Parts: sequence; structure tokens; C-alpha cells
Amino acid sequence: MRYVAILLAVVVLAAVPKFAQPYYVTLVLPAFGYSIALLGFNLLFGYTGLLSFGHALFVAVGAYGAAVLSSKLGVKSFELVLLISGAAAVVVAIPVALLSVRYVRIFFGILTLAFGMLFHSFLFKFYDLTGGDTGIRVLRPSLFSMDFKELDKTAFLIGPFYYYCLGLLVVLGLAMWRVVHSPFGLHLTAIRENSRKAEYLGVRVRFFRLIAFLISAFYCAIGGVILAINTGQADPELAYWTHSGELVFMTVLGGFANFFGPLVGAFTFIFLKSELMGATQYWRFFLGLTLLLIVVLFPRGLMGLALDLRSKVWRK
Amino acid sequence: MDSKRRTVVKALSGAGVVAAAQPYLSFPAIAQNTPLKVGIIAPKAGIAGTIGECGLRGTLFAVERINAGGGIAGRKVELIIEEETNPKDSIERLRKLVLQDKVDCVQGIVSSGVSLAMGPVAEDMKATVIFWDGTTQDGVKETMPNPRYVFRSTDNECEAVMGSLLAVKHWKGKFKTVAGINPDYSYGRNNFAAFQALLKKFGVEHTVVADQWPKVGTTDLNSHVAALKAAKPDLVFSSLLFADLPIFMRTAYGAGLMDGGTKFVFPAAGFQHTLLKKSFTPEGMIFGHNTLYFDLPNASPLQKQFVQEYEAKFKDYPHWEADRAYFAMQVYKAGVEAAYKAKNAWPSQEDVINAMEGIKVDSLGGPGQMRKDHIAEQTFYQGITTNNNKYDFPTLGSIDTMYSDQLQKPPGMDFWKWIEVAQIKL
Amino acid sequence: MTAFFDILIGGVFHAAVLFLVAAGLQLVFGVQKIVNLACGSFYALGAYFGITAVNWAIKVGVPPSMFLLVLLASGLVLGVIGPAIEALLRTVYDRDEAFQLLLTFALVLMFQDVLRFFWGANPQQLGNLAMEYGKVSVGEVQVPTYNVLVILASVVIAMGIGAFLQRTRIGRILRATAENREMSQAMGVNVRWIYASVFTLGTVLGTVGGALVVPTAAASLDMPVELVVEAFAVVVIGGLGSMRGALAGALVVGLMRAAAITFYAELEMLSIYLVVILVLIARPAGLFGKPIE
Repeated sequence: MRYVAILLAVVVLAAVPKFAQPYYVTLVLPAFGYSIALLGFNLLFGYTGLLSFGHALFVAVGAYGAAVLSSKLGVKSFELVLLISGAAAVVVAIPVALLSVRYVRIFFGILTLAFGMLFHSFLFKFYDLTGGDTGIRVLRPSLFSMDFKELDKTAFLIGPFYYYCLGLLVVLGLAMWRVVHSPFGLHLTAIRENSRKAEYLGVRVRFFRLIAFLISAFYCAIGGVILAINTGQADPELAYWTHSGELVFMTVLGGFANFFGPLVGAFTFIFLKSELMGATQYWRFFLGLTLLLIVVLFPRGLMGLALDLRSKVWRK
Repeated sequence: MDSKRRTVVKALSGAGVVAAAQPYLSFPAIAQNTPLKVGIIAPKAGIAGTIGECGLRGTLFAVERINAGGGIAGRKVELIIEEETNPKDSIERLRKLVLQDKVDCVQGIVSSGVSLAMGPVAEDMKATVIFWDGTTQDGVKETMPNPRYVFRSTDNECEAVMGSLLAVKHWKGKFKTVAGINPDYSYGRNNFAAFQALLKKFGVEHTVVADQWPKVGTTDLNSHVAALKAAKPDLVFSSLLFADLPIFMRTAYGAGLMDGGTKFVFPAAGFQHTLLKKSFTPEGMIFGHNTLYFDLPNASPLQKQFVQEYEAKFKDYPHWEADRAYFAMQVYKAGVEAAYKAKNAWPSQEDVINAMEGIKVDSLGGPGQMRKDHIAEQTFYQGITTNNNKYDFPTLGSIDTMYSDQLQKPPGMDFWKWIEVAQIKL
Repeated sequence: MTAFFDILIGGVFHAAVLFLVAAGLQLVFGVQKIVNLACGSFYALGAYFGITAVNWAIKVGVPPSMFLLVLLASGLVLGVIGPAIEALLRTVYDRDEAFQLLLTFALVLMFQDVLRFFWGANPQQLGNLAMEYGKVSVGEVQVPTYNVLVILASVVIAMGIGAFLQRTRIGRILRATAENREMSQAMGVNVRWIYASVFTLGTVLGTVGGALVVPTAAASLDMPVELVVEAFAVVVIGGLGSMRGALAGALVVGLMRAAAITFYAELEMLSIYLVVILVLIARPAGLFGKPIE
């Protein structure tokens, strides 16, 4: 049943460029980016029980990685950009994680927020290195050494790049599925449920948290690369704390208790925000209201709601 | 634009000419016509919300007049307004306007971060975009060397150049030590660098005793003012321009920074002119109003009408963003109409772009034109402030007017190189 | 010497401002263990509303020199939103703290537009009203008297709340509730009422703070999100939940910033986060916080 649903979702997403209007196709791209980032984010939040309010940092590392590689170092290969940016995020994440995973709950949240803002200040202030407020341009990459020169940027984005990112999402999704269902993933869940008990049972709690943190940073950076290529620019706002807040927003919107929740959240958030921005100048209010309602009424998010509905239907 | 609509428009174009000439008599003909869609992307919230608000008012004023006069070449203008936020989301808004709403032209953008990101995207999408503002030197040269679809405003550094020239003209020999307090982004950085480069060019010997870079949106500038005061500068150059500017002025006043003979150059102060109350703003500073000075004695009837309506409606006096927005709309209108006239049929996007290159229009603040290299030329106003007026904020006692061909680099030249070699008359 | 005192006072003033933003955050966390991201929004609301109140008061003939009282009153009046928001938060008290944090994040988003809806996008300010009380001058050091009042106000508030928590019966009950909610409840403490009052008090601290500081600054739409991160730095350095910590943290950040601005302006914000991280590494609970397990 579940596999059918997943397969169907992939088929529908693959068909989107064929029937949807180009603008909506371009909106799916950031949704892909955020989906990948949130897969990682939720390994830390949903599975390990650590709420980070600074993970936009790693999205920004990915974006700036793509920017520096493409416009300063002339690296065109998307595969290389993904790998190097992902690796850079892991390198940045090591000290951050070492310090952060000593804490849990709100202290972890605040510490990660501080690191995120530290990075934001660095991007903002160190002008010569980072381009300051305007950031650095991100050039169009080549996919598997193919340039697609004949396509303009929109055609490139909603064509080859779209399918590439869909493929990435599927591959990274499968990998994450394996991770959370491996013994490692079960350890994380045990840590979330009761870290002390897990420790008595011989789980190296901090080490596992550290690894989960590093994986989440890698995923966020991959998401950041996709976002940056879609925008064509990496800018400090990507590391700002409200962007971290949006990551949490999306995850809770979709439901962090479910593997697919964050993906649903990312898609819903992107389209909701786009529609609200078009509909009213007070879109922030309505976005906030949505979050408020979700938090108060549907804490398990849209996936939780859907599962509840399904079980109701089944019972009948 | 999709080809189907273009043919429809072509068929109707004969009616369009009549409509333009006799707007009220041939109303049915206009009604049959599809409106010309113009997308606007401007900030509404956050730091730059105040700028976007004034710009939008300029656009609405322009569109009201255009539509009352029969539209652009007979087609009414329909606005679709979107919000400028960060580069990522603003580019999504651009795509929505171009791909979904299929607008004929996009105008707006005030932040250089967004304009830098949007320029290449718009070029790639072949979308006609006219920026209101947000044109600093950095990056523009690398990201958009020869734009085809994007039209830029005058260089952001123009006002700093003019402020520096006035400082040299009025105060050369009267100051030795210089301090800067400028917003911490490319605009502020370039402005202060341009000021120093111009002092050097005109042989004004000086030492920089302090340079402060508060982040835009800083609401407490006491420590910055204390640092400036400690440096005891003869002259302070500041291109602060948001809420930071009145806060700075009030803090500086409170700390006694303005008690001595310190001179002030505020090339961008016009953005917040009505918030700089006389009670804490000294007279005799160099004060920039960019391309619109609301109280210009010999202003055009157009400007006078705009300022009057603005005051009546919003209980405030407009600043230059309204002019930039009005200018963008006029350039587009003039371009479409010139191309239409030349072709005697509804022009293609390429025709309109060709026509906009080099076109001259009258904007709110005065005459302007769009250079062939897609950079605007406009009229700039700065001068020395006086408190001798009917308002509760300072106005200009003496007004200097310069056309931007004196203030910005010619096509294809590097800005810093231009400062070195330019033949500027004071 | 003049320069030294100017810079010192600048730093202390910034500390006072930060303390006023952070005090409510700290109180609410201390008792309810909720991190209120919307504390900056309350502060901004106080600032905007204070301007409107003062302008109205002057129009109806209140002498300008009374504006300080008007500001205080307007900040206190805004306390009415406290119970309403607390009622909303109550729905998520027994859930994971992520939900509480997110609920306050939702408020941040909503407040941005509420402020814009009522006051527009233009920054608002109170002209030169702050100079109504003149300046204090010692030698070449000049400080507006009003700035000194703001510094005094934050010291009074800090000491007042400290005394309230330490010396009064209600204060003791509050601390007991903060220590152990179930136990207090078992002892007959009306925890619901306590939470509502504490949250309202926290809200009022924010709105009064915003109203008090606005004559020296201006109210703008980006204020809430900008200030909240600095407030965070303050409470993390001082120790979450500790009032003395907030005061100490504010002083550290204020003076640090003043020093950075004077000696190496590039480090203005960066220095603050660096201190935060250093403190968290060396003394995770902050200067005055209780050790974290």
C-alpha cells in the first residue's frame, strides 16, 4: 500500500512538467530542495528529538558552496558541487555538533540558533570574502558533464534540472529510509524516548547524536545547493534565524512523527506561501495563523491528519 | 507575450490609435482591448518597506494619469503588485509575474541584493524589467555586462558623488579630519569609498579618523556616536537612510556631536527627510534628495501636482523613490508608444526594448533618459539645509542641480577608474 | 577621558535597552520554561503604541513633560494581550517544547503584519521629545537626561523583580512553581493563575520596555526579529531564567558591543555571538543559570 503511494507520488512528480504551468513547475524545485533539507533536519528533530533553530546555517553553507565553486572556482559539474558543498557542511558541522549535542531541549535549540546567527554575521560582515549583503552569484551547473546550452535558464530548470533533483530526492529519500530503519536509526529513537535509559543500555548517546547531526547538515547543504541554483544567488538571509524557523515550520506542518511528513510540509509550505503572497499583502499574518492552528489543533501535522482520516475510513 | 494575443492586439491596433487621441470618445474600442499588464515587485514590510510604499504611490499616480489619458498606446495599464523580500523569494515572484500572469513588463526592486540576483534571471527569461533602484557598482559589472532585457536605475553612488563634490566646493580647506558612519552593505561601503576617492582627486588633504558600519536596522546608535565623538572629526559623511538616520541624528544631537563646528554630509538623507525634525537636526548640512526634491521652487506643474496630492492623501511629503517608480513607468510608456508609432502596429517586446534605448522622458523630479546601455540618467538635487521654512523639518536653503551624466560613469567604464579620470566641474 | 565615559555610557545604555527586551523573556522562561520568541514583538508593539499614545495625549493637552507617564501607562495597558496569548499557549503546555517555541514563532510572523496594518511601513518616532528633560553634562560628557532615566528604569525593574521573587510570598510561590510544578499544584497553588500572571507580567515588561526606549530610537517593522536575537544572546550569557543573569548578560553584551564599535567596528555583531558560544562552552548554564544536567 505504502509503496504504491510512493510510486504514485514519484510518477506524478515526474509528470508535473508535462501538464503543469511553468511557474508551478519552478515552484516544485524549491520544494525539492527543502524536502531534501528536511529529510536531514527531521532525522535530528523527529527521530533524535533535538530541535535545532539554526539549521539554516547548513542550507547557507550549501548555497555558498555552490556560489563559491561555480562563480569563483569555475567548477561546473553539479555532482562535484553537491559533493564538495555537502562535505563542507559536514566539516562545519563537526565543531558545531560537538558543542551542541552536549545539550538537549531548549538549550540545544538556542545554541544552534547562536551558531546560525554567528554564521549569518560572518556572511554579512566579511565583505571581501562573502560579498556581504548581496552575496555571491551561483552559475548554472552542468549535469553529468552536459551543459544544455540550447536551453534557457527556465527551460533548464524545469527540464533536466528538475528531473535530476527529483532523482536526488528519491535517492536521498531511500538512503534516509535505510538510515532510520537501521539499528542506528532505532538507537536514535531510543535516545529520543529516554536518553538515560539508552545510555544504561550502552548506547553512546552523544556519539549517535553527533552522527545524526552530521547527516542532517549534509542533507541541508544539498537542499541549499538546489535552492541556490534555482535562485542564482547565495545571500546571507539564507542563514538568518527566521529561515531556520521556516524549516521547523515546514516540518511541523507536514508532521515530524512521520517519515514523509517533512516532504508534505515542504510542498505545502512552498505552495501555500506562494498563493498567500499573491493573494494578500498580509501573507505573513496568515502564514503565522496557519502555523498557530497546526500547532494547537493538529500537532501531528498534515500527515497525522491524513492518517487519522484514513484509519477512520478503514474502521467504517 | 504569447503569439495568439499579439495577433489579437495587432488586429485591434487601429482602434488603439484613435483611443489614444480621443480617450473619452472611443471608450468601447479601449474596452475591447486587453489591458497592458505591468508587474511591480516592491518591498512592503521590513527595513525597506517605507521605500517600497513611497515608490508604489509614485507608480499608482503614474498609472492613474496614464489610464485617465487613454492608457499606453490605447491599452489601459493593469498592475499586479508583488512583494520584494529576500532574493530567493523575490525571484519566485518574478517567475510568477512572467510565467503565470504573463505580464508585459516588470518594474520595481530597491535592494541591490535582489537586483543583482534578479538581473541575470530576468535576462535568461527574456523578461523586460526596469529597476527602480538597487544599482550598486559591485557585481553589476560582472553579473550584467550587456543587459538586453533589464534596465537599471542611475548608479546608487551618484548621490555620494554629488555630496562629495558639494563638500569640496563649499568646504575645501575647512576640514582636515573625516569620519564616516554608513550602513553596512555594498551601498554604504561604496559611498564612503567614493567620497574618499573624490577628496583625493580634488587634492583635499584629509585623514579618516573613524569609520562606523552599523547594520541596517540598528535602533541604538549611542555607542557609534560615542566612537565618532571620540575621534573629533571636522566632517562626518553618512549615507544612513532608513530609520537609522533619524535615530543617528537625534543621538548625535543628544551627545553633543553637533555642538562644535562639525560639518555633515548626508547624501541620502532625503529618504527620511520628514522624520528629521528641526529640533534635533542642525542647519547648514549638505543634504541629498536624489532625483526628487519635493519643495523645489521652480518645479514642474507635474511635480507640484504630485506633491500636493501626496500631501493631501498621506499627510507626508514624498521622497525620490516615487520619482524612480514614476520614471520607470514613463520610460516603458514612452518606449511602447514610440515603437508603436514607428511600426504603426502593436510592437513586439524587442521593438519596445529598442525604442526604450535612448528614450527621453519627463519624470516627477525633472527630465531624464534611458541610456543605450540600459542605465538611467536623471536630475539630482542636493544642497545646504535651512530651518527657515514652514515645515517641522529642514529643507534646502541653496539648491544644486546636476544631471547624472556629471555623476555617473559613462557606458562601459569602471566606476573607480572614472572617478580618477573624469572631467568634473564643480 | 571624555571619550572613555561617552563610550562607557553608550554601552551601559545599550545594556539597559537589552535588559528591557530580555527581562520578559527571562521571567517567562524562569517560571514556565517557555522560550518566547515573540518577546521582540511585544517590545515593538509597546514602542509603536507608545508613540500613538503620546501623540494623542499631547493633542488632548497633556503637557509634553508628562510623556514619560503616558509611555508607562500605554505599556501597562498593553498588558491586556498577555492573558489572551497565555490562554493560547495553555493549549500546548503539556506538549513537547518544540510546539511552544513554534507557537511563539507563529506570533512573531503574525505580529509583523499586525504592526504594519496599524502603523504602516514608515518608521515612527517621537521627534525630539526625549530632550524635554534636558541633558546631564559633566565636563564634555553629555548625556540626555532621558537616557539616564532609561538606565535607571531598567535597574529599578531588575531590582524590583528580584525583590518580588525573593522577598514576597507570591514570589516564593512563583519560584516553587518554577522548581516543581506538580508539587506546587499538590500543595494547593493555583498554577493556572500563576502562569497567566507571570506571562502577563512578562508581556508588560516587554511593552513597557519598548515604550520607554522609543523616544531615544524609532519604531520600525524589522525591530522584532532583530532585537530578539540580541535578547537571546543576553539570556544565554546570563543564564536562562535568571533575572540577575539578564542584567549581567545585558551588561556584557552592551559593553562588549561598545568596545567592538570603538576599536574594531567589523566585530560589532560577531563579537556578541562569539561570547555566547564561549560562555556556552565554558559555562553552559550561563553566568547565573542553574547547571544543566
